[in-house]
Amino acid sequence: MASAAVAFELTTSVSNLRHLRASDLGAYDAVYLGNIYCRLYEGNLLEHPAELREAIRVTRDQGRQAYLTTYGAPRNEGLRVVRRALEVAATEGVAGVEIHSVGLLKLVHDEFPRLPVHVGNFANVYTDVGADVLKAFGATRITPHYELTLNEIDQIARSCGLPLELLVHGKMPLGVSEFCILVEYEAKWGVRCPDLCQQEVFLRKQGWGLKSVGKGVLSGHDVCMLEHLSRLRAGGYRHFRIEAVSESPAYRAAIGAVYREALTRAMAGDDRTEARWWQAIRDHARLGLCNGFYFGQSGMDYLPAHDNRTMEALP
Amino acid sequence: MAMLLAPAGSPEALEAALDAGADLVYIGLKGWSRGGARGELDWQELGDAVDRAGARGVKVELALNTIPKPRERAVLLDQIPRVMALGIRTLIVNDVGILSMLRGRYPQLYLTASIGCGAQNEADVAFFRDVGAAAVVLPGTVGPDEAAACVAVGGIAVEIMLHMVEEFVLLGKCSMPSYVHLRPAAMPGGLTDLTRQTGSMKRGGVGACYKICEQPWYLEDGHGRRETQMLPSRQLSRIGDVAGYVAAGVRVLKLQGRSLPPELLGPLVARYRRALDDARVGAGTPPAAESVLPPSWTVVGR
Repeated sequence: MASAAVAFELTTSVSNLRHLRASDLGAYDAVYLGNIYCRLYEGNLLEHPAELREAIRVTRDQGRQAYLTTYGAPRNEGLRVVRRALEVAATEGVAGVEIHSVGLLKLVHDEFPRLPVHVGNFANVYTDVGADVLKAFGATRITPHYELTLNEIDQIARSCGLPLELLVHGKMPLGVSEFCILVEYEAKWGVRCPDLCQQEVFLRKQGWGLKSVGKGVLSGHDVCMLEHLSRLRAGGYRHFRIEAVSESPAYRAAIGAVYREALTRAMAGDDRTEARWWQAIRDHARLGLCNGFYFGQSGMDYLPAHDNRTMEALP
Repeated sequence: MAMLLAPAGSPEALEAALDAGADLVYIGLKGWSRGGARGELDWQELGDAVDRAGARGVKVELALNTIPKPRERAVLLDQIPRVMALGIRTLIVNDVGILSMLRGRYPQLYLTASIGCGAQNEADVAFFRDVGAAAVVLPGTVGPDEAAACVAVGGIAVEIMLHMVEEFVLLGKCSMPSYVHLRPAAMPGGLTDLTRQTGSMKRGGVGACYKICEQPWYLEDGHGRRETQMLPSRQLSRIGDVAGYVAAGVRVLKLQGRSLPPELLGPLVARYRRALDDARVGAGTPPAAESVLPPSWTVVGR
């Protein structure tokens, strides 16, 4: 029985102006602009103020809110670059800035106090008391660390009272590095930086799989919470993310469309899924699906909503 | 004046570190440090270590750098009076919330933000100062010039882990092991009804990281290309930069290696002791060759 629909927000991520222009953002409410892994990423919006300004305009022209993301592990030099991007964000009045360094939270709080701050995965919010500290520094939204279970996330939600943003689909960021493991293949593969990390490159070992973006590591399996949206609704969560920073515009559009429809339905109390949704998800998942850490298992495992079903038996 | 902080993962290693001239030593309390299979000491050993170090004028810092769940956190907090009764006043912690909570309850404690907190820049340093940390540990990838900028933040001591394994993924920013295997394990130290998250680099149980980084992977792209790929890493030894860090105002030069046996730890500490003493009198340290990583080099072995 359907109940009254509940409003929600669906976000995604785009690294540069080229991908933004090629992306249909119709399924999304907001977009995180910039690439958190590498300063050399093609047209990284964090490095190009004029393009960032244009990207904010393009996003708004599509009727979406613009958020700025920031580097996963900035050094001092990176802070100077981010500060320049923040100046653009403040001037243009973006709707939020995502930080992955607690220092950047303080920096934004001190120098750009009108910018709402979203705390991202790599800022390491593992505890309710940690979330409280970041709230005191002006955080307005928190992504709990992806290693947490939903039960642990529930506890943070109850304690800190801030909206929490949860990953519902996409390749889960697992690590940030100062090394690029792809650049050594420039000559051998005949593909140069910054095009190398835009290839679909996976690290494989037996049944394990990771996606490499050069200086970042993501899950090889796509986190998929399509079957579990009712659990997220029951937990009071209303901010959802499709991680697509390393994906094509086609992925962003197709997966976004699935979740727009599925979340709309789930937020009205209807948990049915459609076979065509699963087909779209399968079409874009190179190595398969997982649930991340939401149910207390290893991040690469998939737990169907119904115990008697296997992932292979999904519609 | 900069001081040399050495690891001590066993009573024997403690003795070696003291003999080699450490100014300070850090020890993990069994069950509560990110040590896992690396060296941790139980309560009896910890008490003995404090006595033995104290007799030589050396202070013990205690690593309590797992991130317990709330129920376990209450148990951890219950341990603090006992820690303080031993005379320990410096705790190394790994979660900003636990740091803040300890600061509020125990203002007399000297709290250090662990290298696992992921601080890398001057803004991070300022943040941890404002939260109440007395010190923050930066990785040895941060050079003397960057360290000087961090020291200039003021109001907090900057420590550098200048001898460490630099792994592919940055400390405090890695969830690769738990992606492959995450298994709660019984807590050692007699706390059998508690668990810690084996496989999580950040939360604890580092001793079983499953050596994700250490193994050869295949790098595959969508065009049929397949390469054997090791994830890059190196033994970072910034002994040649000791004078630079001292000049930068770094307060503590820290060595990684709670798993090191005494026969390896002693010479390591002695080398850095000499470098620090040379730096204090303005003498240079000859450049040292980069150390070769042992066959098993991940967090289990460092």
